[in-house]
Amino acid sequence: MIGASLSRWTMAYFASALFFLVAAECMMAGGYGFPHAAVGAPATLILVHVVAIGWLSVLMLGALFQFVPVLVAHPLHNDWLPLPTLLALLSGLAALILGFLQLASQVDPELPFFALASVLLGLGFAFALWNLGRTLWSAQSRPLPARFVMVGLTSVVATAGFGIVFALVLARTTTYGPFVALAGSALVIHVIAGLGGWLTVTAVGVSYRLLAMFMLAPELERSSTKAALYLGVAALAVAIGGGTWAILHGANFTLMLSGSAMVGLLAVALYAGDVVYLYKARKRRTIELNCRMAALALASLAASAVLIVVLLVLGQLKEYAAAVVFLAAFGWLSGLGLAQLYKIVAFLTWLECYGPVLGKTQTPRVQDLVIERRATKWFLLYFLAVWAGTIALVIGYSPAFQGAAAAMLIATGGIVAQFARTRRLADVTAAARLPVGVRKPRLLFAPSHQN
Amino acid sequence: MTVPLLELDVRPILRAGGEPFGQIMQAVASLVPGQGLRLLATFKPVPLFSVLGAKGFSHEVRELVGGDWEVVFRPTDVAAGVAASATAASDGSDWPDPLHHLDNRELDPPEPMVRILTATEEMKTGEVLSALLCREPIFLLPELAKRGHAWRGGFEPDGTTYKILVRIGTGKQATV
Repeated sequence: MIGASLSRWTMAYFASALFFLVAAECMMAGGYGFPHAAVGAPATLILVHVVAIGWLSVLMLGALFQFVPVLVAHPLHNDWLPLPTLLALLSGLAALILGFLQLASQVDPELPFFALASVLLGLGFAFALWNLGRTLWSAQSRPLPARFVMVGLTSVVATAGFGIVFALVLARTTTYGPFVALAGSALVIHVIAGLGGWLTVTAVGVSYRLLAMFMLAPELERSSTKAALYLGVAALAVAIGGGTWAILHGANFTLMLSGSAMVGLLAVALYAGDVVYLYKARKRRTIELNCRMAALALASLAASAVLIVVLLVLGQLKEYAAAVVFLAAFGWLSGLGLAQLYKIVAFLTWLECYGPVLGKTQTPRVQDLVIERRATKWFLLYFLAVWAGTIALVIGYSPAFQGAAAAMLIATGGIVAQFARTRRLADVTAAARLPVGVRKPRLLFAPSHQN
Repeated sequence: MTVPLLELDVRPILRAGGEPFGQIMQAVASLVPGQGLRLLATFKPVPLFSVLGAKGFSHEVRELVGGDWEVVFRPTDVAAGVAASATAASDGSDWPDPLHHLDNRELDPPEPMVRILTATEEMKTGEVLSALLCREPIFLLPELAKRGHAWRGGFEPDGTTYKILVRIGTGKQATV
């Protein structure tokens, strides 16, 4: 094996993603979309896709282009494709937003925005799948975390497939009966495939490796880890495959979803057990901010799972689905993403700047690029705000939800400022910052000669 | 002047799940001065560009029909002699006993990488360093290659300790 290199556009992915996170928080704080608008209203659909595609998917893909080669010890199949991939996704998201505005009669209805969005987003995800798929395919070994990522990438196909069907039906490009039936009933499958299959399963796979790496804990290849993978696959197969079949054949769709939920919850429980084991078995006693804050994200995942169980028992999952989705998207996925970004941005910047001169001259440590004490308060504010927002959604008090979203926005601003400072080496002492042979990094990309 | 290119097709090895790196380096070591290498692979071997670039080879890349890749590595003016001597270590030839031993298994990342690179900077050409790690040093290997050092590494039979041997190369001065 030859090693992994720095992916040139990783920072551009992260910056784009953070832009959309901030945009989404502005919308929520300003009362745009749910709970002021209905779940299916264009404003809510815009908000949801800004979060799911603009923030979470772009963040995840940026991380995967860097992380999959590390995971399987094999170079990325194609180094230049990530940039067109990003451009296709961003322009596709813009077209999708315009399509939703069209539904709300807020823009000129003549242009086929939904069709355009289908093509551009389809292309962006296809590029990403091709690049990551070929990388995984060519690798000599695919450890368990990589197999979680493969399941996540397969779920992208299902998510995007449903999304394209919905877009074409909404745009009245097609009136094909089964498509119209799916557009009427399969929204929940689209959400499960995206939030559960693509984002959560991938995050689970990545977290197994990252947590082990940063805490000096053993790599898990336990039977519980394998069982979590297989149960996760089974839950997705039942929800996506079984759910689609049920809609098209008039079978009991709710029964399929309930079955999937039970298997999925079991998988989450096994994952939770593994994570507790990782934290306990770690050799590193004092853990860094990213692992401490990841624990709060993991607690949010556990809380989402408990909430689902309680609501299923009470038979009220549908009424409170928005609160569960909010907690999973912002507490679990976004919380984990922000926490790990804190370390990843510092590490990649450190490697880019100081890697070439390590050992030749005195260089700062990775931890010298960050000031954890300053970042901790923003992270704590972020998680508290997310949990407050969840409670506000459960009790249905929208001013409190807007207040919580505003607090999330402030916290995110604080966190993003830390990322920018790290990237510009602003927290490294002036004497240590730029030894001979080291150049200040660019904010958004690494030089092309980095290998 | 025009020595024919040495051709190496590693696609069968890659398709069988094998690791052709040793064979590629062996082929590079066997090149006569001025000779280039035509490599056929199932993927674009990007890290090789810097490994061989550090040894003075330029590269031309072409994607073949069917998704395979052809890369032609040609020695630039100063390269051929240095390249052969610097990379010979990656083949099966015997290395001297390690002069230094590092146990980096309990260190927080990326401290193991920092210690190894620091140690290599204080060693002389041909000397060997041995280090124990708790995982494959993914980001260290390209850096060693850029500095012209050769390495051999792999997991010990216990499956958790990764042992790497680094032999200090002659390409050291040519780097960054």
